[in-house]
Amino acid sequence: MKLFTLIVSWIFGLLLVALSLFVAAETASRKIFNVSFQGADELGGYVLAIGGALSFTIALAQRGHIRIDLVHDLLGQRGQAFLNWLSAMTLAMFGLFLARYCWPVVRDTMEYGSVAPTAWATPMIYPQAIWYASLLTFSALSVWLAVQATKLFLSGDLRSLNHRFQPKSTQEELDDELSDLEVR
Amino acid sequence: MSFSTIVIAFFIMLAIMLTGMPIAVVMAIMGAIGGVLAFGWPLVESMGPVMWSVMNENLLTAIPLFILLGELMLRSGMADKMYGALAIWLERLPGGLLHTNIGCCALFAATSGSSVATAATIGTVASPALDERGYDKAKSLGSIAAGGTLGILIPPSVNLLIYGSLSETSIGQLFVAGIIPGILLTAFFMLYICLSNLNTENKTPERVPLDVKLRALTALIPPAVIFTIVMGSIYLGIATPTESAALGVVATLIMVAIDGQFSVDFFSRCFINTAKTTGMVLMIVLSAFILNVTLSLTGVAQTTTTWITSLGISSTALLVLLIGFYIVLGMFMDVLSMMVLTIPIAVPVIVAAGVDPVWFGIFIILMCELGMVTPPVGMNLYVVHGVRNDDGPFSDVIRGAFPYVLIMIAFAGLLIAFPGIATWLPQTMFAPQ
Repeated sequence: MKLFTLIVSWIFGLLLVALSLFVAAETASRKIFNVSFQGADELGGYVLAIGGALSFTIALAQRGHIRIDLVHDLLGQRGQAFLNWLSAMTLAMFGLFLARYCWPVVRDTMEYGSVAPTAWATPMIYPQAIWYASLLTFSALSVWLAVQATKLFLSGDLRSLNHRFQPKSTQEELDDELSDLEVR
Repeated sequence: MSFSTIVIAFFIMLAIMLTGMPIAVVMAIMGAIGGVLAFGWPLVESMGPVMWSVMNENLLTAIPLFILLGELMLRSGMADKMYGALAIWLERLPGGLLHTNIGCCALFAATSGSSVATAATIGTVASPALDERGYDKAKSLGSIAAGGTLGILIPPSVNLLIYGSLSETSIGQLFVAGIIPGILLTAFFMLYICLSNLNTENKTPERVPLDVKLRALTALIPPAVIFTIVMGSIYLGIATPTESAALGVVATLIMVAIDGQFSVDFFSRCFINTAKTTGMVLMIVLSAFILNVTLSLTGVAQTTTTWITSLGISSTALLVLLIGFYIVLGMFMDVLSMMVLTIPIAVPVIVAAGVDPVWFGIFIILMCELGMVTPPVGMNLYVVHGVRNDDGPFSDVIRGAFPYVLIMIAFAGLLIAFPGIATWLPQTMFAPQ
């Protein structure tokens, strides 16, 4: 999982850096030389769609999606395990929801051969196919995690279930920040 | 749809969220279920294009770019160095280093935007000096917890960006509107520190020669340059928020390179944290738009507006009620969830009552700041408590932060009485020529 997180994060980060360089160059060229490259806005949208979908997966792998742990923390091990399992199941539901209801977007684009109404006239299938593939990565990971959580729940290994699927506490986030602070 | 149905649905959603289900998922599922109940499956079928259009929105690209900008500054240590520089300048005021805590938090958070990172960094960097000079623990912790809230108000702020996109308000105007309230609130915090420490004796530091003081200012140059590029390009109309974020990222990369910080490990830490935060924020924003499809088609905002108008209360009374509502909500919810959950309904209601949506953006952010320092879920309280190196009680932090809570509530009152605090600058700068 660590390697997967690292690779996906680098793809995401490099997309953002490349976009920044392009947009900064475009802005400077537009203002200083009055020459626009065209397409910076369009490119920004594609980077957000693809990068955003990739970032869902990273947040999922890092237990980064926000959950309110107020009630969770008041419960015993069994109650917590149930909520953590249910949370993993709802995330998988959301993953499948994205896979099911974003598919028609790609299907229609393929059927009609849609192109962007911009100077680039980008065939929409390119960005949308990568976007959809990134969403499917999220869906697959969410389902895989839900299966893992269910296995742990059914086997009665509630301690491991809670360890792997509990909401990320403020203390954990703080520990991450403090260890980063030591590095710098 | 009746108003009572809306209230029941809202509380059901809130109750599910409190059980610890992921906020984004609960909002999306409620949006889908509500849509199916009201209009059948065809409505849910139409959500695919909505999701593509939200995720393909160039305006929202500013969110990951600003997060990356903050991460680059934070992980390069650029922001940590500000503390020493500010301490030299502020430590001789009554309250000494407590001003440095507030000032540094304000500067740091303006660039970083992460309250956990801000409070953790300032708390750790400040602790040795605060302990050595015998500062009261509650006062020290309170100042860091309160200072850490300033970042979401002082632009560039990801929270203001999210407010702008959900309420269809100009991000540029919101960023401009945040400046005066951000500076004023920081000044009020510092004024309180001065007044409450007039008779407090802390170990006075030795007088620092002027040339050393001036040299220390060099640590403030990189963040100041980046802030000027980002905000200056927006104010001068050179760049959109997304473009200004991109310019900021490039400027930061150049400074980090000059500082010799480029390494695979550095970028790995920046990219992983940017991806994690972006994923968390963007999924909530996406879900909010999914929920909005159902909310707008079922006329929830319209029904709520009609109901509230029928009560015949003034806009001021409505805002005072909202302060109470947000204080209670902030006790249980995190900032982002609180914002996205309430904006779609609160903004139409408030605009119908004649309130400026840009002003309301600043007001809602102020309410979110309050939520960060009010127990039991005041995140900043836990962060600064986690950073302290003694085993003191949590009540120290609550006691230390409480005066700042009162200041923020009073400031909200001031904002209601004098809306120009937030609206004057954007109205002046964006006035039609």
